[in-house]
Formats: sequence, structure tokens, C-alpha cells
Amino acid sequence: MFTDFLYVLREKGLNVSLTEWITFMDALDKGLAYSSLEGLYNLGRMILVKTESDYDKFDMAFMEYFKNVHIDMEMPPEIIMKFLDKGEMDTSKLNADIYSYIQKRDMAETKRMYRERVTEQNQEHNGGNYWIGTSGGSAFGHSGRNPGGLRIGGHPGQQSAFQVMGERKYQDFRHDKTLDIRQFQMAFRRLRQFSAKLDVAKTELDLDKTIDSTCNNGGYLKLEFDKPRKNSVKLLLLFDCGGTMMPFSELCNDLFQAVHKANHFKDVKTYYFHNCIYSKVYKDAECEMGNWVDLDYLFRHTDKDYKVIIVGDAQMAPEELFDVNGNYRGPNDGRSGYEWNKLLRDKYKKAIWLNPRFHGKLNDLAWMESERTLAEIYDMYPLTIDGLKAGITKLMAPR
Amino acid sequence: MNEMKFTGSKEYVASPELMAAVDVARALEKPLLIKGEPGTGKTMLAEAISQAFNMPLYIWNIKSTTKAQDGLYVYDTIQRLYDSQFGEEGVDDIKRYIKLGKLGEAFKSEEQVILLIDEIDKADLEFPNDLLWELDKMEFYIHETRETIKAKTRPIVIITSNAEKELPDAFLRRCIFHYIAFPEKEEMDEIVRVHFDNIDENLLKQAMDTFYWIRSIKEVRKKPSTSELIDWLNALTIGGIDPEIIRTKLPYLGVLIKKDEDVEIVNKRKIY
Repeated sequence: MFTDFLYVLREKGLNVSLTEWITFMDALDKGLAYSSLEGLYNLGRMILVKTESDYDKFDMAFMEYFKNVHIDMEMPPEIIMKFLDKGEMDTSKLNADIYSYIQKRDMAETKRMYRERVTEQNQEHNGGNYWIGTSGGSAFGHSGRNPGGLRIGGHPGQQSAFQVMGERKYQDFRHDKTLDIRQFQMAFRRLRQFSAKLDVAKTELDLDKTIDSTCNNGGYLKLEFDKPRKNSVKLLLLFDCGGTMMPFSELCNDLFQAVHKANHFKDVKTYYFHNCIYSKVYKDAECEMGNWVDLDYLFRHTDKDYKVIIVGDAQMAPEELFDVNGNYRGPNDGRSGYEWNKLLRDKYKKAIWLNPRFHGKLNDLAWMESERTLAEIYDMYPLTIDGLKAGITKLMAPR
Repeated sequence: MNEMKFTGSKEYVASPELMAAVDVARALEKPLLIKGEPGTGKTMLAEAISQAFNMPLYIWNIKSTTKAQDGLYVYDTIQRLYDSQFGEEGVDDIKRYIKLGKLGEAFKSEEQVILLIDEIDKADLEFPNDLLWELDKMEFYIHETRETIKAKTRPIVIITSNAEKELPDAFLRRCIFHYIAFPEKEEMDEIVRVHFDNIDENLLKQAMDTFYWIRSIKEVRKKPSTSELIDWLNALTIGGIDPEIIRTKLPYLGVLIKKDEDVEIVNKRKIY
């Protein structure tokens, strides 16, 4: 049953496993959907979806698969209900005006039209295009050819699942939407590398092993030590504070907060740049002349194990990137922004670029030369949860 | 037995979706995983179910150091070692030194019980995977005594998570999932009334309006939750605050908002 629905779900990006699908079928067999669309919706969601960030995808898939729109409205007069309950299924052709209202989900207008017709109508209508009835092209009634029509009668029970989904109230939780601080923090938790795996001295008392060894030792105390479990990840953050980044200042602030609240890093260094990285980076987001450090200095004072995250929209003009005099704030120490970026990339083992305006494969357009070039130097990801997760995976990859 | 349905309890207001999730988890004999903002009553749910079904509740609180083994049983080797050195009686009986954890206790119970595994995301990333077999089969094996502890009736397992860590897929696949969304005003009204027998209508209205107004301010980092609203209402009632000044003076704001920056933001926005 509903096997196609499984494929619609997977198409929408929901990774429903066979186990879960079989559980769902099992639940349907047990009658847990209570023979209603709403019950089916709830049941499907609780079994097949395992995070609120996927609720929206499920809503979309459900809407697509169960297209027949069922909306609970006031009951029409008895007489209309009676004949509506018999009737056969038929397929599509629309009653354009009302359909478009339903498409726009303009419920007030749809309901008004519906009420108008209920008052006008005082007899049975089957097969027509205007009145409420069965098998017609009208937007009201059931078993009609109007796929966007409202079901009136025909099925028992109240069926308002469409309205629940139509609200799409879970779309804020989507992973591919730009994210908030808590979700940032969550993502940064993945940026861990325990020193237990590294080559350090065994300095911490391992209680369990000590007990085991002591027991094996016939009750005479024998101490056992292990490597301390501490995060060894060091982070270098570089934020673009140029004018085009203004719309994303809150987002960057959230990211900044998330990194600084995640106190599990061994070290975090944060610097800022204006449009493009040149020979100097600024100490704070104001990017005032003079309040900077040389990139060379930074190179000397950080080792290659620092993981670099650059946040910027890569929207600088090509001359800002390629021209030796591209930096309007003065000397570049004889190198273009492009060269400085190359130097930065070569210095560190791992570096990613997070871009709030990421164009991805669309960056072949002429005015995206800068983004395209930088995406060749760095691994570039969109500044979203999924982007950050992918970026962090890259940072943590062994090679 | 199947006639028994969860409908919330006197102290706990459950949404229809949540009630359905409890019933489905029970019928399918799968753990129910509850996720949601802090303060949306995840932990209280288990208590409510325990009351509604009149079954004993076993709570296993998870901490960052908790291991799966702790929930099953602990072999108290130190005690045994100690006893042996002083020639205590019964040292040769390992059983005396096997202590069941919460999961073990729940399995051993004669009647059906509710088992709450609270804040599973606090533990190590691998923790949930270590419990897959035990939760599937509802049994485990004690190596030291060669004994299998098997549940006579499957406990109803409720698991809560604050989403601090991602849970492993293999674990998720076995669960029924429900996300407790933050209650809308009407639902909140109902929840508040469960906690207060007779509350001044005007005070309630003013406080609720202010509460949702604060939640709607985007810059507020730690949004106040249900439990904070209830504390606040308590404070307002006890303090005998005039409802008319709630929105303008924001009395006892500290009960509602815990962060200095947030207090500042709210104070800046308040109307005089």
C-alpha cells in the first residue's frame, strides 16, 4: 500500500529506511491511522521522520502524494449531503476561478464562494461545473474532475491534514535554511579531535584499568594511566566585514557567538578582513586602519594544524582580487589578493570558506569570477547548517 | 488493554499528536523519542503516562559520563575485593556484587512499567548504539553470573532529547519520534490553567501577552519557556502585582529572562 509514497518521500530528500517503512505498514495494519487522513499524516510523520528539520519535507511529500484537497468546513444542508454520499471517482479538468483561489490558499475567499453557492443551491447537481455536486468539474463537492476542489461529503470523519501541512509551520527548521546560534553550536560540536588519539604522554589515572589490574595483581595496588581526553582542535576564523556583508552581520555574529561559546577548542583566533584578504588582517570588525596584524605574523604564530574557516560572500570586484594594487587601503606588499589567498591556503592543512551568498554551480556567470576563483582555492560551502556540517566534515577528514 | 488510551493527565496537557504518538509507540512496542525546546514538558510526559496508566515509573537520568552498561548492571569489584580481604562471608557468591541499573530494574519488574531515559543526548555519541540490542529484545546477559535478564512484559520506553547531539541513525530507525513544538497561545492558556486553580483573568491575559511579546523579539537569545512563565505567574500572583503595569513595568523580569543581555534588550523595547 502507498508504495509510491515511499518514493515521493525519498525524492523529497527524506531518507526513509525499509525498516521504518515496514513499521509504518505494520502500524497501518493495526489500524493506528484510525482511517483518517489526519491520522495517516500523524502516523507517517512519527514513524518515518526522525528530526523536526525534516517535518517540512514530509509535509511537502504528503501534500504532493495526497493531492485531493480535503478541507473541513461547515456542513452543507442535509439534502446536498445525502446525494453526495454516492458517486464514482473521475479525473481532472478545472473550474479555473475557484481553483486559483484554493491554489493561493485564500481560504476566506473560497469559503465565501462556497457559502454563496450553498445559499443559491436548493437541488441536486451532478456532473456540472458550477454547483456543489458529484462527478463534475466544480470546485465543490466530491468525486469530481477538479483536482484542486474542496471535498464536501463523501468520506466520513474530519480531514484537515491539508490545512496542517498547508501552514508549513515546520519550514523554519529545515536544515538547508540559514541557521541560528544553537544550531551553529551543534554543528561545531562535531569539530572535535580527542588528544587520546594523538601522540601525547599518559598522564591521567585510568580508574577502570587500575581496578582490573589490581584485581589481577592479587589485590595489590597497580596504577594504570591513559592519555587525557581533550579536544585538540585549534581554529582560525576570518570574517569578511566589507559592505556587501552587511545583510549577513547578524548571521556572522551568531556564528561568532557559537564558536566562542563552544569552549571545547584548544585555541580560537579571530581576525577580520575587508572584502578580500591581503597582507594584513584586522583585529576587530570595525576594520580601522592600523588596527591590524601582518598575515606573515599570523603565519609565524600559528602552526599548520590550525583549521581555517573564512566567512565571506566572495563578491569582490575581480581587480580587488587580481590586481597588485587591488587593495584601496594601500600597499599589498607587492602581491595581489589572489596570491595572498593562495599563501594562506598553502600554509594550513585544512581551510574552508563559508559563503552566505553561495552560488555553487551557478558561479560560471561572468560577474562571479571572484567566487569561482576562490572556490578553486578553498573548499567553499554555503553558510547554512548543511553547508557548515559539510565544511566541518571536510575540516575533520584525515587528509 | 488496547482500550487504554493516553489522554493526558490532570497536571499534563498533551496535544492530540503527542497522545497519538504515545498510543502508537505502545501498540508497536517501540521506544518513543521526544524532542523539543527546553521547558516544553518532555520529562513530565513520562510522569503523566505513568499516572494515566497507573504503572510504576523508572527514571534513568543520563549524564555526560553515563555508559550503557550503567543502566544494565554494575559488578562491584571493589566491594568484593574489600570483602575478600576481611574474610566477609559470601564473597564466593558473585551475585551479591551484581547491582542492576535502571534498565535492569525495569526489566526485572513483575508488572509492566514505564522506563524514562532522560536526556539521552547528554551521553557520549555512541551511547544510544550500545543500547540497541537491549531495547530491541528487552533482555541482556550478565557475564559474571551467566544469567539472562529478560523483561516479562515490555516496558513502555520514553526517551527525551534536547538535541544537543545528533543521535545515530540505527537508533533513530527503531524509535517513534515526536517533536514538541512550543505551545501556541490557546494551548498555553490550557497548560497554565492546569497549574493555577483560579487566576485573575486580567493578570493572566496581560502576562501571556507580555510573554509572547518577549518570545517574539528576535534578538532575545534565550527565549523564556513554559516553566519560566509558570514561575513568573506565581511571582506576579504572590507579589500582588496590578495587571495593568505588567506590560509597562515588567515586574520580576529576572524570573522570565536569565541573561543580562536579554534583559537589556527587553528593557530597551518596553513601552512606557
